[in-house]
Amino acid sequence: MAQTRRFELAMSPHVGANQTTRKIMFDVVIALLPALAAATWFFGPRALLIVFLSAATAVVAEFLCLKFMKRPVSFALDGSAIVTGMLLAYNLPSGVPIWLPVIGTAFAIVVGKQAFGGLGHNIVNPALLGRAFLMASFPILMTAGWAAPEAWNSSEDISWGTSGIAMEEMSTIPMADAISGATPLNVLKQTFDLDASAANARNEGNTTEAQSLEERADGIRSALSCNSTYMNLLIGRSGGCLGETSVILLLVGAIYLVMRGVLELRLPVSYLGTVAVLAWVFGGSGWFNGDPLFHVLAGGVILGGIFMVSDMVTTPVTPKGRIIFGIGAGLLTMVIRRWGGYPEGCSYSILLMNLVTPLIDKLTLPRVFGEVKKNG
Amino acid sequence: MSLIKDFTKGIYRENPVFRLVLGMCPFLAVTTSVENALGMGAAATFVLICSNFLVSLFRNIIPSKVRIPCYIVIIATFVTLVDMVMNAYLPDLHRSLGIFIPLIVVNCIILGRAEGFANRHPVLNSIADAVGMGIGFTLAMVILASFRELLGNGTLLNINVLGSAYQNQPLLIAILAPGAFILLSFILGFFNILEKRKGGRQ
Repeated sequence: MAQTRRFELAMSPHVGANQTTRKIMFDVVIALLPALAAATWFFGPRALLIVFLSAATAVVAEFLCLKFMKRPVSFALDGSAIVTGMLLAYNLPSGVPIWLPVIGTAFAIVVGKQAFGGLGHNIVNPALLGRAFLMASFPILMTAGWAAPEAWNSSEDISWGTSGIAMEEMSTIPMADAISGATPLNVLKQTFDLDASAANARNEGNTTEAQSLEERADGIRSALSCNSTYMNLLIGRSGGCLGETSVILLLVGAIYLVMRGVLELRLPVSYLGTVAVLAWVFGGSGWFNGDPLFHVLAGGVILGGIFMVSDMVTTPVTPKGRIIFGIGAGLLTMVIRRWGGYPEGCSYSILLMNLVTPLIDKLTLPRVFGEVKKNG
Repeated sequence: MSLIKDFTKGIYRENPVFRLVLGMCPFLAVTTSVENALGMGAAATFVLICSNFLVSLFRNIIPSKVRIPCYIVIIATFVTLVDMVMNAYLPDLHRSLGIFIPLIVVNCIILGRAEGFANRHPVLNSIADAVGMGIGFTLAMVILASFRELLGNGTLLNINVLGSAYQNQPLLIAILAPGAFILLSFILGFFNILEKRKGGRQ
């Protein structure tokens, strides 16, 4: 019976607890709701529609798969499919056509989860796999649909940084029309491009041009690292995927999960800690002058750190392994952000670490009680 | 009778791709369009028939210690031939198949049939085997390429099937490498189910 399946998430010895898959999954759904409220507020009711479609598709796809494989269809209602659907929708820009979340979620459930044997057997996080699938299939839709939050249009403070430079920079993005805007990380990526062209100009002996380019890059960077930017990122008044923008409401969900004993802090803390440290080390223009606060607040690391890094199925079960996983994912995230082709590396870093999870578990297996250490 | 059997087994019962899972590199790499798949299939089939013929003809002369180098020389001769002819008469196809034409030399289907069949069967059987395997390989590639071209580009043999609205937003991943693996796994799963059902009835 699905409802009474025990969920064991650590190495033995175990203490019995009154946890079931269903309870855990619905706790996660509850924890995701504050961020949904923020998405609806900032991006309009369309956000709600996308999340609903995604979750509904997930349940239907799961039901059909279970039916086809002649397994108990009650598994479809254990909540895990709803979580996958919601998380995938949280990873989409608000401007996507409504068939996009449907295709993505169906792929996530059918290929990412059920093809491997259902909940507990999937190798990578199905929601992130769905996102990677959509990124590979529809790159334009997945990166051009960054709608500026609706609150922007009515506000006189139209950019999320107070400096007009950031705004000017955003308006130079080719796809921009009246309501689309760049994500904070897109703008940061542009400063690295400016740095590169400045270095080029310097090599060609064009010092004045190099200087003006460098000044522009520094101007944008200082605009990104000011208090009003932090505040906007914290409450979610910035461009980005539906569920990733409102840091404070994501944290409300995290606190709820910790109180319910569902979220184990090792994974998110080691992940976000690594991101912060590495942001300081190489997240800025040179070495050791990056802005850790901006890097943690911007992009998807908070959403990823709370809800995806801590996915019970695809991350290590040993305490040491969880810390290794968090550090590895944080390192990959920052490397992609600084040197990769995409502005944000959160999803790919977690997917890559998912693949080595069995290896990490094997390497960090605790000693069996009473076993004598060899050569010890 | 055994001649017919040697011919037909390559098409389904011992299909080199779907049942023996051989020749995966060209199979995954060039199936981005049906045209490429047909071109690759034809080239591989030609090489397969010629190499099976020669290997079978010389099977009592070739010393068994140096048989693999001998097979490679025979296969490489025909691959070079195909490479040059295709470059001369079908330059577009030659360009899109690229490195995978010279790589037919190390195609494990061709080497496998030389080692596993032609060196211990008479000439006629070997040719029948090569034709069957070649057709089976081509058929498998055309099946996967149809899915990939249709989903990833909305066309079949460069003819627009799904309409220009679809072509604006195709399922790009089908043309990319991950799409080849995902679709292959579905096709293999389908054939495994088919086999299982067949086994159940007997």
